[in-house]
Amino acid sequence: MIKVLYFGRLSDRAGRHEERLDLPQGVTHLSGLKNWLENSHDLGGALLDPSVKTMINQVLVHEDAALTGDEEIGFLPPVGGG
Amino acid sequence: MIEITDTPFSPGARIDAFTKASGNAGAIASFIGRVRGEAGRVETLYLESYPGVTEAGIKAVAADAQKRWPLTDILIIHRTGTMTAGEPIVLVCTASGHRRAAFQACDFLMDYLKTEAVFWKKQTGASGETWIEPRAEDYKDNERWSK
Repeated sequence: MIKVLYFGRLSDRAGRHEERLDLPQGVTHLSGLKNWLENSHDLGGALLDPSVKTMINQVLVHEDAALTGDEEIGFLPPVGGG
Repeated sequence: MIEITDTPFSPGARIDAFTKASGNAGAIASFIGRVRGEAGRVETLYLESYPGVTEAGIKAVAADAQKRWPLTDILIIHRTGTMTAGEPIVLVCTASGHRRAAFQACDFLMDYLKTEAVFWKKQTGASGETWIEPRAEDYKDNERWSK
């Protein structure tokens, strides 16, 4: 299963901080997962906003990474400091 | 030592303990950041971290501070969760042989914590809830330390 984490304003938009799910049918890469989450949670493009960074297993990814189905995936809006 | 906690802390007690543990260091600098109480504006502040990632970022900048200044010890305590006006958000303590290093390192660490640290911040006030992003001047403060 993958663990998806939504931070900051994304958690308001997605209505959750965290969810666990099996990699949806046909989804092999990060871009596919983002599109799938956008549609299933009606995120209005929030995940596709270029300011949102993605971490896989707590490491920033800059490209469309392949997913195996057991990752922790964090979606991070711009950080605001403390 | 770096501590991210959702529990209120007492800066005085922590500074005291840090000072006692700092042995012969001639200089201790400390900074306490609190929730601003602007006449009816901010009622509560909510801070969220990414456990693991937030600590790793702070550890890296603390290691950078150790390279830049001759510090004998560093303490960083940062709150998460919901806080109200006047409540401490952050405490940074630095110990060194001399004041300049302690002051500068404390300032350096705070600039990172205010702008780049992995926190998301939501304020709730009369006008509702707002997620806050860094102010332009915060970025400017942080640029002072460019290599």
